[in-house]
Amino acid sequence: MREIRYREAVREALAEELARDPRVFVMGEEVGYYNGAYKVTEGLLARFGPQRVVDTPIAEAGFAGIGVGAAMVGLRPVIEFMTWNFSAVAFDQILNNAAKLYQMSGGQYKVPVVFRGPNGAARQVAAQHSHSMDPFYVNIPGLYVVAPGTPRDAKGLLKTAIRDDSPVVFLEGETLYGVKGEVPEVDADECIPLGKARVAREGTDVTIVAWGRPLHTALDAARVLEESGVSCEVVDPRTLRPLDHETIVASVKKTNRCVVVHEHWEHGGTGAQIVDVVQREAFDWLDAPVLRVHNQDVPMPYAVNLENVVLPTVERVVAAVERVTYKR
Amino acid sequence: MAKIIGLPKLSPTMDEGVLARWAKKVGDDVAVDDILAEVETDKATMEFRSFDRGVVLALLAAEGESLKPDAPVLVIGQRGEDVSALVAKAKGGAVAAAPVAPAADSSAVASAAVSSGVAASAALSAAAAPAIATPADEAPASGRVMASPVVRKLAREHELDLRAVRGSGPHGRIVKRDVDVLVSAGGASVGGTSVAPPQGFAAISGGVRPAPRIEKLSQMRKTIARRLTESKQTVPHFYLTIDLDAEPLLAARAQLVLALEKQKEKVSVNDLLIKACATALRLVPECNASFMGDAIHYHQRVDVSVAVAVAEGLVTPVVRDADRKGVLEIAREVRELAARARDKKLRPEEMMDGTFSLSNLGMYDIESFGAVINPPEGAILAVGAVRDEAIVRDGVVVPGKRMRVTLSCDHRVVDGAVGARWLQALRGVVERPVTMLL
Repeated sequence: MREIRYREAVREALAEELARDPRVFVMGEEVGYYNGAYKVTEGLLARFGPQRVVDTPIAEAGFAGIGVGAAMVGLRPVIEFMTWNFSAVAFDQILNNAAKLYQMSGGQYKVPVVFRGPNGAARQVAAQHSHSMDPFYVNIPGLYVVAPGTPRDAKGLLKTAIRDDSPVVFLEGETLYGVKGEVPEVDADECIPLGKARVAREGTDVTIVAWGRPLHTALDAARVLEESGVSCEVVDPRTLRPLDHETIVASVKKTNRCVVVHEHWEHGGTGAQIVDVVQREAFDWLDAPVLRVHNQDVPMPYAVNLENVVLPTVERVVAAVERVTYKR
Repeated sequence: MAKIIGLPKLSPTMDEGVLARWAKKVGDDVAVDDILAEVETDKATMEFRSFDRGVVLALLAAEGESLKPDAPVLVIGQRGEDVSALVAKAKGGAVAAAPVAPAADSSAVASAAVSSGVAASAALSAAAAPAIATPADEAPASGRVMASPVVRKLAREHELDLRAVRGSGPHGRIVKRDVDVLVSAGGASVGGTSVAPPQGFAAISGGVRPAPRIEKLSQMRKTIARRLTESKQTVPHFYLTIDLDAEPLLAARAQLVLALEKQKEKVSVNDLLIKACATALRLVPECNASFMGDAIHYHQRVDVSVAVAVAEGLVTPVVRDADRKGVLEIAREVRELAARARDKKLRPEEMMDGTFSLSNLGMYDIESFGAVINPPEGAILAVGAVRDEAIVRDGVVVPGKRMRVTLSCDHRVVDGAVGARWLQALRGVVERPVTMLL
């Protein structure tokens, strides 16, 4: 299979859906003439024109609201946040409009909007620009929250998200955009279902659950641990809301141990939710407490040495696995 | 501080234990995991090991005494502590008549004062630095067994006594690796010491013959021992052997296998023999009977017990109404029962109330053997291997397939002539399998 970058995979998904469905349009800051802040939308304006690829002012609340309104009347907007940090300004549109109108209109209005952009630390962009926003959004019923870690998942899940009739929060990653991976040929039209986890690596001694950037940290740790004879299974939930209990629990029942790696803070969020699911549904299979490796509980420092302390690292994942396997 | 040690529950089902032998006497030092006493439980004689360290200050139970779990059995503390109050409390307020610490009264008082001073300063330092209070590698004094959830699940499934297991996790937690060896050894109340292999080579080089590996009886082993001894000692067995032409049965099976290929189903020779036995029992119902003391019960049902070898021994799940079931139905049922037998998932009632047994050692190339009757059943058929043999047919020597079967009969129920008639009926069915259709 051909290998392309995560950035190109997202772009292909957008281009294919723009070409397939005239109701789809892309809107956001610098998505058009600048070809995208991270070059995800490069070439889309030239190919589809300003009706379909719309530049906006710096006004997230405004264009997020336009997205919700356009979706309510039958279009399929894809709203880009330059980073998910800026979605805080548009939070009310997502929380109170996108996620609520289907229920509050008694099903009269569907809101098939996708909000997408990079999530998490982009390295040395400091406290206000390094948020993992997923804990805020996974708490909201009415939304899908998707966080692909590989190019193939990014493309296949974005295509599904655009076609789905519900609002979707789609979390990419600045440090993921350059990651290469296998993706089926252009126009293979692979749509990956929402709400399905993927076993990224099979193993027998411990289940590591991770998504987004930390998925790669977990896979690196699994390779290190393999050398010391610990076999890690890595499960990528891919969709954070709804969460695929079945795949995670089946894996833990096999390995008896679980470590969750995530880039959001400790208190609440998908990381805590997974621990809850595992202790409830796999209690009798556990041989050790479920541990988490996560961002330290501080605003992100700017200095690179301190940032390296805050973010989950391979060393911390290895240490957690050694604790649940009683090797330290 | 001296404290009363209660009798632990040494098997999951123990509701009473007999103190067989004290391993310590008053004044002996005790380390964690030392054997304090041997206790006979409902299952076996178990080692009662200490979770505490100190000195034995009083023994509260006599050898041979029968005790409930948690009954006070001894007092452990610092040397010289006065335990008369504790002993009185243990005896339910009665005046302490039990043996007390051997130290002279005056020195006991003095050292008690000293030790209480030590305790006070220890309490102070504990308050200042609480982390020191619990050494990480010791089991907590509460006596609670610390074990991970999966270990508790395995203990339930394999009847492990976790009190006999040393935990290697933090705070002495028993983790999966600590019980893996017990589980693979077959479980069933295996104590920590009995699975250790003998030091064979060292012993030989020292000129001493190695000791046998001692394995406590599992519940299944006990049941097998009890029932088969009872059978051989009380049931007057006699044996009748015939040699059958197995070719028609093998041909029938081959046809069935072919017919069932698409359905991905199979029937074995044994499945056909179950059906054949059931058919023969309908033809000669006198063999489908039990001796019940003052009467013989002739059964109005044909329930065939099938001997299944499992890791620990054997079990005999019952195929109910085998005479009224088709061979395929029997095959499926036997497959399902055998699988659950190997997983120890059979319910007791699924192994009870058979009316006749079948035991087949053909797969081990046994030519013929006499099986032990499974009481109160009246007979059991032992099946040997199918042999390639030269036979004489119509005055010509030709290659043939033969199979030897031996019927063990309870002579109180089945006489020689009756057993012989049953075997004739069996021959009729096995050598003309189509009659099973009747």
